[in-house]
Amino acid sequence: MTATGVKARVPVGDAPPEAADGTAEGPPPERGRRRLSRTDRRDLALGLKYISPWIVGILVFVVYPVGYSIYLSFTRYSGMGAPTWVGLGNYVTAFADPLVAKSTGNTLFYAMIAVPLGLVVALVLALAMNQNVREVAWYRTIFYAPSLIPAFAMSFIFIVFLNPQFGVFNQVLNIFGDGANVNLLGDPTGVKIAIIMMAQLGAGNAALIFLAGLRNVPKTVYEAARVDGAGPMRQFRSITLPLLSPVLLFNLITGVSGALQVFTEAYIVTNGTGDPDAGALFYMMYLYKNAFGFAELGYASALAVLLFLVGLALALLIFWCSRRFVNYDVEAS
Amino acid sequence: MITRRTFLSAAAASAAALSLGACAPRGSSSDTVIRYWGMQAADADKDLKVIDAFNATRAGSRITIDVNQVPSNGVADMSQIITAVRGGTAPDVWQMDRFNAVQNASIGLLEPIDDLIEEYEGVSVEEFTSQWLQFAVDELTYDGRLYGLPINTDARGIMYNEDILRGAGIDLDMFDPQQHVLTWDELREVSRKITTTDSRGNFETLGFVPWDGEGWPYTWAFGLDAQLYSNETASVTLDSPQWRAVFELYADWAEEFPYAKADAFFATYQPPNAPPSQTAIFSERLGMSTTGPFSIRSNEKYAPKLPLKFTWLPVGAEGDETYSWSGGASLVVPKGARMTRNLWEFMKFYTGFEGQSIVQPLLGDLPTNLRTIQARNYNPKAELFRQMLPTSTSRPPLPVGSVAWDTLQRSRSSVIIGSQTPQEAVAINQLSVGPKMALFEGYQMPATYGQNSVIPEA
Repeated sequence: MTATGVKARVPVGDAPPEAADGTAEGPPPERGRRRLSRTDRRDLALGLKYISPWIVGILVFVVYPVGYSIYLSFTRYSGMGAPTWVGLGNYVTAFADPLVAKSTGNTLFYAMIAVPLGLVVALVLALAMNQNVREVAWYRTIFYAPSLIPAFAMSFIFIVFLNPQFGVFNQVLNIFGDGANVNLLGDPTGVKIAIIMMAQLGAGNAALIFLAGLRNVPKTVYEAARVDGAGPMRQFRSITLPLLSPVLLFNLITGVSGALQVFTEAYIVTNGTGDPDAGALFYMMYLYKNAFGFAELGYASALAVLLFLVGLALALLIFWCSRRFVNYDVEAS
Repeated sequence: MITRRTFLSAAAASAAALSLGACAPRGSSSDTVIRYWGMQAADADKDLKVIDAFNATRAGSRITIDVNQVPSNGVADMSQIITAVRGGTAPDVWQMDRFNAVQNASIGLLEPIDDLIEEYEGVSVEEFTSQWLQFAVDELTYDGRLYGLPINTDARGIMYNEDILRGAGIDLDMFDPQQHVLTWDELREVSRKITTTDSRGNFETLGFVPWDGEGWPYTWAFGLDAQLYSNETASVTLDSPQWRAVFELYADWAEEFPYAKADAFFATYQPPNAPPSQTAIFSERLGMSTTGPFSIRSNEKYAPKLPLKFTWLPVGAEGDETYSWSGGASLVVPKGARMTRNLWEFMKFYTGFEGQSIVQPLLGDLPTNLRTIQARNYNPKAELFRQMLPTSTSRPPLPVGSVAWDTLQRSRSSVIIGSQTPQEAVAINQLSVGPKMALFEGYQMPATYGQNSVIPEA
């Protein structure tokens, strides 16, 4: 896995050793064509037996539900009785449904702010966690702790935090003007901003991954840069960021994937309505309502398939763009 | 160290255990045990009182009621019961919000009970159900078949704080339900007098806003003759002028009592998901609110000293007929349940005179059983709401009830915020609900739906 700086491992006896410059000598190995020996077959069977619980788990809990969901997306199905085939009907309805457009807009608004902001917050936390001070273990614990608060509890904390009369947020606003007249949760845009703010308290997980990336950057590179006269900002821009880019890519993709599925916080702070004015009606909430509130599992499945396709497209787009900014040249120190 | 043999044996044992778990018994096979999903954990004691009384009867003496208080995921989230029915672990009888009956019946989640009535009562369904309020029976009727028996009901009215009104110099006779029915103009005037603002213009006390509490679009729709569905044309009528009038009412009030200010007021004094004791009424900040008899219990519990009274919903002009709407619970039979005589006896007892006479005074709601109403076996403080019943009705029994409710609620939010005009709101509502209802071609609500109910006097 060169992405994390560890050289790719070559199966023993399968291919010639790598040359010093990383290129292989001799004819390329005939992958997958070599006949397995009796021992290989026995090892393979044994290996499969060992991982069979996971294989069964994936088949039962992932492959089958995904496949069935795709099938249901072409049907009208309430959860009871047999599904009725409607072809592309659910997809046609989805593209004409004003609430699909509204909830997609809300979700994209959230993703476009929460994801970049989340990366910045996580990176800043990781840099703070990476300081060479004696109390660093304490700092790491303190910075990571908010990520352990369940979204459910966090939502209730935020409802109090944003109370127009008594909330800390509004008390701060009072310094500049009239905080008592501002109810962030009562405004269609404000409620999204509030949920974006909430998401930042969970940045500790991404920060841990950044921290692992930071620890992987060789100290010698920084030393060389310092000798050449690079200041902290220049070191960050020219060394830290480029060498952290594979981790950044990972956090970006998982962040986008998570943002497309935002649900819990919005469900709690709006009492499941998505109001005011459907401002917090995110795509997953609308999907949930259709599936379990309106008993339209076929339509909800179509929405899920569309979400999957959008998520896939975004991931591919990010991968394509990543060729320009991701640097895989770092090696483990 | 784990050997290969140990690992494989353990894996095989785990798989076998999981398989056996899937084949776990689906409850007692004896028909003397009735599995019952009750009203809710907080009211489990009330359920038990009815069950004890049932067990003391001859019919119920040999029957065990296996109660399970399964918490609801949300107003219309049926995933638990659907999963239970599909998994063969559903209860034999389930206490369910009547509002969901037609939708659940339409998806095949419930068993019709007509056959039970004909088999064990020997009378027609119409004759048997004449023991209950007609609108409550209508709400349980889908495609001409009955899917449950009603338990409690309620109605909507205005709750007001006498001290706040008196303090604002309001003549309290205006609010006396035996003397007067408020008009919308009078309500607005009173609201103006009660409302006070601080130096920054924020509401300190608020009189009334029609979107608070039970001020749902349906609430005002019944007073403005806005119907959601027409049996004659078998179509949704959410874009009618009457529905536009409902949303114009919201827009009109939001102009004088702006949404942002009112919202900041409510967020302060009764934030979302606040405990039931934390309301703007209890903190004596709100003068009037739309509510029902279900408030009686919390008033007694959290603000026993506050002079909170009830009156009718406001009408357009003096002399107009009063109106309201009523919800409530029912006992229904999930698909696949054992339709036994014992099950029927329990349902009949719980929803009949004996059961309702036990449970209604404890709940503070109203009975649906006419004999129980006649015997006044309910909380005396709910008397005004009983008087509302003749002109009350249920929300329209439609298989798209949840979608309609959700759509109307969202439109209300858009109109009071000002992002939609009433005309735009009704057009969107029609577009949202119409096509879904069109899938039930020619659907007919019960012919008696919407008619005034006959309530016997004591």
